[in-house]
Amino acid sequence: MERETEGDERPLLRLAGVRRSYGGVQALRGVDFEVRAGEVHALVGENGAGKSTLIKIISGAEAADAGTVEMAGRVLPGGSTAAAFEAGIATVYQEPQLFGELPVAENIFLGRELRRRGLVDRAAQRRRAEELLRRLGLDPGLADVRVADLPVARRQLVSIAKAFAHEARLLILDEPSAILTDREIEVLFDVLRSLRAHGVGVVYISHRLDELTVISDRVTVLRDGLRVATRPTAELTIREIARLMVGHAPVGASRRRPVPDGPAVLEAAGLSRRGAFQDVSFQVRAGEVVALFGLVGSGTGAIARALYGIDPPDGGVLRVAGREVRPRTPADAVAAGVAMLPGDRKAQGVFASKSIGFNISVGHLPALSRARVWVDRARERAVASGFIDRLRIKAPGPATPVGTLSGGNQQKVVLARQLVQRPPVLVLEEPTQGVDVGAKDEIHDLVLGLADEGSAVLVASSDLPETIRLADRVLVVRGGRIAAEFPRGAAQADVLAAAAGDDAPRADEETGEER
Amino acid sequence: MTALARPLARRPAAGAIEGQEAVLIGVIALLWAALGLSVDTFFTASNLQNILATVAPVTIIGVGMTAVIVTAGIDVSVGSAMAVVMVIVARQLRDGGLAFAPAVGLALLIGALLGLVNGALVAYLRVHPIIITFGTLNLYRFVALEIFDGREVAGVPGTLGPLGGGAEGRTLGLPHSWVLAVALAALMWAYMRHVPTGRHLYAIGGDAEAARLAGVRVTRRLLGVYALTGLLAGLAACCVIGGGGLVAQSAGTGMELQVIAAVVIGGTSIQGGRGTVLGTVLGALLVGTVTSAVTLLGWPNELTSLFIGVFILVAVGSDLLRERRRRSL
Amino acid sequence: MTTTAEETTRDGQAVKRPSLPARLGRLLLHDRVALLCLLLVVLVAWMQVLDRGGYLLGPYDAAYMAAALESFVPLCVLALAETLVILSGRGGIDLSVGAMVSLTGMAFGFMVGEWGWPLWPSLAAALAFGTALGAVNGFLVAVLGFPSLIATLATGYAYSSLALVSNDNAPISTKPIQDLHELTSMVDLPFGLPPVPEQFFTFLIPCVALVWLLLNRTAFGRRLYAVGTNETAARYAAVSVSGTRFRAFALAGLLSGAAAIVTVGQFASARPDAGTVGNGMALPAITIAVLGGVAITGGAGRVGGVVLAALLVVWLNAGILLYFEGSAGARFQLLALGLLLVASTSLNAPAGRRRRRRRGPAGRTAGRA
Repeated sequence: MERETEGDERPLLRLAGVRRSYGGVQALRGVDFEVRAGEVHALVGENGAGKSTLIKIISGAEAADAGTVEMAGRVLPGGSTAAAFEAGIATVYQEPQLFGELPVAENIFLGRELRRRGLVDRAAQRRRAEELLRRLGLDPGLADVRVADLPVARRQLVSIAKAFAHEARLLILDEPSAILTDREIEVLFDVLRSLRAHGVGVVYISHRLDELTVISDRVTVLRDGLRVATRPTAELTIREIARLMVGHAPVGASRRRPVPDGPAVLEAAGLSRRGAFQDVSFQVRAGEVVALFGLVGSGTGAIARALYGIDPPDGGVLRVAGREVRPRTPADAVAAGVAMLPGDRKAQGVFASKSIGFNISVGHLPALSRARVWVDRARERAVASGFIDRLRIKAPGPATPVGTLSGGNQQKVVLARQLVQRPPVLVLEEPTQGVDVGAKDEIHDLVLGLADEGSAVLVASSDLPETIRLADRVLVVRGGRIAAEFPRGAAQADVLAAAAGDDAPRADEETGEER
Repeated sequence: MTALARPLARRPAAGAIEGQEAVLIGVIALLWAALGLSVDTFFTASNLQNILATVAPVTIIGVGMTAVIVTAGIDVSVGSAMAVVMVIVARQLRDGGLAFAPAVGLALLIGALLGLVNGALVAYLRVHPIIITFGTLNLYRFVALEIFDGREVAGVPGTLGPLGGGAEGRTLGLPHSWVLAVALAALMWAYMRHVPTGRHLYAIGGDAEAARLAGVRVTRRLLGVYALTGLLAGLAACCVIGGGGLVAQSAGTGMELQVIAAVVIGGTSIQGGRGTVLGTVLGALLVGTVTSAVTLLGWPNELTSLFIGVFILVAVGSDLLRERRRRSL
Repeated sequence: MTTTAEETTRDGQAVKRPSLPARLGRLLLHDRVALLCLLLVVLVAWMQVLDRGGYLLGPYDAAYMAAALESFVPLCVLALAETLVILSGRGGIDLSVGAMVSLTGMAFGFMVGEWGWPLWPSLAAALAFGTALGAVNGFLVAVLGFPSLIATLATGYAYSSLALVSNDNAPISTKPIQDLHELTSMVDLPFGLPPVPEQFFTFLIPCVALVWLLLNRTAFGRRLYAVGTNETAARYAAVSVSGTRFRAFALAGLLSGAAAIVTVGQFASARPDAGTVGNGMALPAITIAVLGGVAITGGAGRVGGVVLAALLVVWLNAGILLYFEGSAGARFQLLALGLLLVASTSLNAPAGRRRRRRRGPAGRTAGRA
């Protein structure tokens, strides 16, 4: 890799006045953006601020309506991934763009195969792939493994290896850390540092501001399709970046009355699932909000899914209101009094083309049917209208298709589904992921309200402010085990440190806080 | 960390012969052995020649169909496309006195055009190929019947005999059509395994949008595989006309099901992204063996489809099981 | 981001209030029932014009149209069977309905024609038999996880083979079977309406009502739409995904059984290739379901659209038979079916394309994980 020889002032990538609208809505309203060679440039903004559109335009996946994209002084034609690639732009998308049936080495070179006399040079590809994997701190033996056989986090690293495979001068990483474990993130950062030293420009998109302050040189904040600021990262605190993103200061912790004393409604003792989590024990009382906090991949989601019977535990005991339950399916869990808000709204939550009424009633068909056969449509409408009012869902009525609502309102609809038959235990996985700020606050208030009304609430989240704000107690999950417990009002830094864990835990390590 | 430290299923990259193919070879060998023991006439030259010649058209189309299915597509119109080619070429052979080479050329051209129509509809409309090709199945059948105009084509001369199942169609006892089928399969196998654009077919079947982003020319590849399948349907039509005689209006009916059966028995995943032409050759051979066996054993011919159905279920079922076991590792 | 874009687009359009013709055009594009109604009116009017002009071989009048309903009955019932399966999503399709018609018809033929069972128990047994055949498909697809295309291709082979072998490739047309033809006699209607085939009331209306009630009024219908729209979300909503999909296939078998009985009555004979001769009955049934607006991706489609599509195809076919002489009629029916299918899928395309682009990649990778 050659060092960029141009002067420091000459940017590697320059976007000028880029506009893009989708059917009358402006996603980007004239954005200027520059990346220098040898810098890691963070791009932040709330959902809908225009980040994804901006990368799509840089990578040529979409064309801008107006404005220019210039790479090393040459203007790129819009909407051509090939041209962008030729210019040295490589993109790693949020969802690994890989092909499950092909081995890793082929995935890395797909579309730009190494050839010998017109044929795919498998041996050369494997050698290069092994070299790349080694550089990424991965097992070079992976080169021959079919991608479908890899865990999801490793697929992400494979797709990063893929981007590195072609001497890229500009690397775009779209939320690379979303599914990486902390150790994998460290590996990634090492790689980014070495790229920086080699004069590669990196655009790094992430929601995790703590990461940005570690790795980035400059940060650009987008809000509502406009660039709000571009500043050296060192000049900004996390709080300042957050303020730039939202346009107003982030809200503090909530005030709640103390949790009433009482027996545990939800109790897990020594819960385990092979390859996901081990020996997880906790209790949640009525009226209490307990948060399972962990970085993505730590096992919080897996624990939540186990409680709901999606991926049942293979060891340990689960009790709801003192009665032992073994949910093997979500229906078992619901019957036992456990409801769950799934973490991935689009994939696991909504029926986008169907009405609000449908979306709410679908989880409670036996209860909303006469003789368990005929859907009681009047009641269905009444229930849906009731929730539209109560959860302040912004929609014309129960017949509105959910897909036409904003993310936050969709999330409220999915939440409403969990509340039709007041469950004693409510499990929420990433309750506000991909939700705009206003709706986030509303959902938080709702969750606290539900606890106040007597539900036992368990929140599995990787969102630290959310965790601090909601929880009466925070259980930090690390590597599939509960690593620490914090009372209400703990400092964010302490919780995060516990979740990140500076020493790698040994397999036989005993957790400290036995009850 | 435990999730990370979990050992991975280490598996060498797709070898030349995969599980399904080895199993198929075993099943065919077993069947042949059993048939050889129970039916005297099984291991006669004429019977084996007959099996290979019958299997050839299915194999030839299967070569293209494998590529189509690997891209997560399907083409159910091949039988109708064959009918169009057969009626036009048979007419030209009889009335126009067409020679061998121009006749084959004409067949390939018509077949490729019909395939290209499928490819264009699939690539540009982006509707599920089964629906599109159901539509063209009807349309092509209409075109064929229109040209038949209510009469079968009788008295077709034996110009295409070298491709047919008769004595003229054999050298050293091997039917030309089957040798041709195997040669085409070998070419296709090499293409799909060693040529970049051939590897791209697997990527398209895995995830077409991701393939596009990786620089794969998805539209062009789709046009290519459907056109190829049509072209091969044209070639198969030549083999079926072969020694001439009669071309009936029902020509090619049900061919699509036989071809698809051969492809899926050969281990190609109907969801795309996985499969080889070698498997298809074996799958077709298995289907041909079963057909021949039912006849030789004096069972009702109709039982053949029952066996084909069962073989499809067993082949796909064992593949499902293997995948499931692999995933749970 | 894209969600926001779409949403505001809709708002924007709602505010703008486009002109009446534009709104009508949108209605026809987005509401399949409205489009099919329009096409039906156009078809009938056009046939009237041809009739007046003397271009037809016979009168295309109310009596003819009513008589054509005879072929409407099995076709519509099978299209509804296909609808249930396609609605269940994950590429749901049933290639075996034709074979189920053949095999169930033969079973019914044996019961009534050979074993001399009384009619009512035979009817019930035949319907149960059809349901069992569908349940086999359901078991393979929903429980074992076979792709439905492959599973029903295989069972289609197997069922059609069994139907042919069951009676040595010969139809059953003994006296009791021939008597069944009475089922298909024409019923005189009051108010000067033309006589209509009896099976219209005895089979079609019950079947349509059954499917309509199932889809629109029962918890099963909700589950089916849920599973077809988003399987994972359905699972999280405590819906039994495999149970629901299994029932869809079993019901398709039940409806195929009903179509089989009707077909036996119509032919006055149980024919072993009743549902599989030529291109078979599965293809037209799938065509009609798609034409009726059932999304091949699952989760979207209405009974009204499917019934209208079946009616359109049947009356169009009836018209074609009057326009073309001899075997040409049958040919042009193929042309019409093919064109309708390609045209209706192209109509579905813009919406489908957008969704596929966004969902496709993620869905696939996630599915494999």
